[in-house]
Amino acid sequence: MKLLIVEDNFQLADDLSRFLTENGFIVEMSDTLASAKDKVSVYDYDLVILDLGLPDGNGLDIIHELKKMKKDPGILIVTAKNAVEDKVKGLELGADDFITKPFHKAELNARVRSIIRRKSFKGSSKLEINNIKIDLDSREAFVDENLVELTRKEYDLLLYFMYNKSRVLTKENIAEHLWGDHIDQADNFDFIYNHIKNLRKKLQKLGAGNNIRSVYGMGYKFFEL
Amino acid sequence: MKIFKSFRLLTKTTLFYLIFVFITFFVSASYLIHKSNQYINNETEHIFKFREKHVHRYLQETDSVKNFRSTKLVLLNEIRDTAKYPVYKDTLLYIEELEQNQLHRQKTSVIEANGKFYMVSMIVNINDFTKLQKDIAHRIFPSFIILALTIILFSALMSGYLLNPFHRILLQMNRYKVGKGVQVQDINSSTLEFKKLQYLFKRMVNRIETDYRNLKEYTENMAHEIQTPLTIIRNKVERLISDESVMQVHKDSVKAIYNEANHLSKLGNTLNLLTKIENGEYTNSENLNTSRIIIEHVDSIKELVDLKSLKIDVSLDSEHQLLMDPFLFDIILKNLLRNAIRYASNQGPIKIETSGNVLKISNYGEKLEVNEQKIFERFYTSDHSNQSLGLGLALVKRICDLNQLQLTYTYSEGQHVFAIKSNV
Repeated sequence: MKLLIVEDNFQLADDLSRFLTENGFIVEMSDTLASAKDKVSVYDYDLVILDLGLPDGNGLDIIHELKKMKKDPGILIVTAKNAVEDKVKGLELGADDFITKPFHKAELNARVRSIIRRKSFKGSSKLEINNIKIDLDSREAFVDENLVELTRKEYDLLLYFMYNKSRVLTKENIAEHLWGDHIDQADNFDFIYNHIKNLRKKLQKLGAGNNIRSVYGMGYKFFEL
Repeated sequence: MKIFKSFRLLTKTTLFYLIFVFITFFVSASYLIHKSNQYINNETEHIFKFREKHVHRYLQETDSVKNFRSTKLVLLNEIRDTAKYPVYKDTLLYIEELEQNQLHRQKTSVIEANGKFYMVSMIVNINDFTKLQKDIAHRIFPSFIILALTIILFSALMSGYLLNPFHRILLQMNRYKVGKGVQVQDINSSTLEFKKLQYLFKRMVNRIETDYRNLKEYTENMAHEIQTPLTIIRNKVERLISDESVMQVHKDSVKAIYNEANHLSKLGNTLNLLTKIENGEYTNSENLNTSRIIIEHVDSIKELVDLKSLKIDVSLDSEHQLLMDPFLFDIILKNLLRNAIRYASNQGPIKIETSGNVLKISNYGEKLEVNEQKIFERFYTSDHSNQSLGLGLALVKRICDLNQLQLTYTYSEGQHVFAIKSNV
């Protein structure tokens, strides 16, 4: 699967590129509006990660360009601004999702995967690690073909872990993913522990291994055993 | 601060002008009367002198006493008090031809001829003189009134015409709002002072606008540009967290960097929001029915409340409304509830109450050790831990101020109560 990252900050673009490559994507980068337009006109991408504030113009122009060429890759808008207008405009133009800086890479990964799956059905609708399986279409989880009864939050948590396996997810990161903006209301993230504990219990009762482990009190990691 | 009652400039000038005219008028009037008196005296004296001379000449020639027209001659046998003569007297005499009393002046003097003394009484009609004089004096007051009225009318008409540019400049000043980027319209005036005023106002507005824009850009850029480096820092730190060899040695440092980066990012976003609110970028004011919004909000944070084993009691008046941008009301709720959840003790539930025009959010807890007056100030917080930005209540206060809502904090019966009152 091929991604284009349009981002003028080299550090960030490089970081994301390396991260997404590790996650099995083919990644190209573009740091100006002009070069991004060139690239999308020549190549076909499954997804464009688009920073709106580019040195030579507004990233939204690329969406226009893509429409003109009748190309329809997934578009994930990255915006530093809390600006509601930019988000709304982007989504109206046909962007699939947006993510606000600063974001967690794990969050980006999850968004990218979900866009690709929704968009092209190229992403598999099944995720399997060890004996844990997720059916993305029916939003159900299984351990050895046995259905695990999960709450919505627990399902989202498990999916997030499996999208980002072998990667430390900090408590902040998990909290932001599950509660979105409402996480502002919380003054510490220890309550995440309850959810993790419940999820672990439910998985292990049906015979799953100890996949989810705490890392230095900072977060959790989903191990492939 | 008003110490004296204030008047309009033109009313004041008119008033001073009237006083001035009044004084001038009556000074000149008394001068006029004085002068005319002098004239009457001179004229009558002239006539008296002439007659005296005439009588004198007659007495020197004939030595006999005789009455002339309007002149009475009496020989004095003994002479006494000649010093008190001549004596003047004004009297009314009946004139038969005219059938009316007329004012006359009588001069009685003593003259000497051929060693004998005679008393001469002469009468001159001064009725016409004094009548003219009186007529003039009586005309002065009405003409002053007419002049005064003319001045008042004139100034009233002129105030409309002359001060029109001034009032329009005042209106511009009154309507001017910082940061709206409006151009000040030219107002035609041939009055030098108004031109100068307008020029200065324009220059001031331009300078304010430029300064304001610079400051705004600075704040926005700071809040905005900081986010990309922060994303990089956070990502790099997350990479370090995944590296066991690093974490074994530098766990605490990495943790601190991560937390501070998160804090900084939140700070940037909140300051940005505060700036936007102050710039008045959220103006989609509407009459919000608060009960539905509050219930939705409480639902979405229910889990966070449960996790702290707290309870929220909601008692809502379905009629309660607030006139403001929904986004801003969301921020108010979010911040007040976060505050309540953070500081609530388990003594009792967090309460959200609406009734009449008041919205109250309260929670149990220890009395604040910090100054109650200062809790709405930026970065004033008793909690210097990582999670508190110290901006939440400042944000709420600002929103309330901008929407003409009264925000108060009280501590009573072990509860911290924040109340928002509308229509104040």
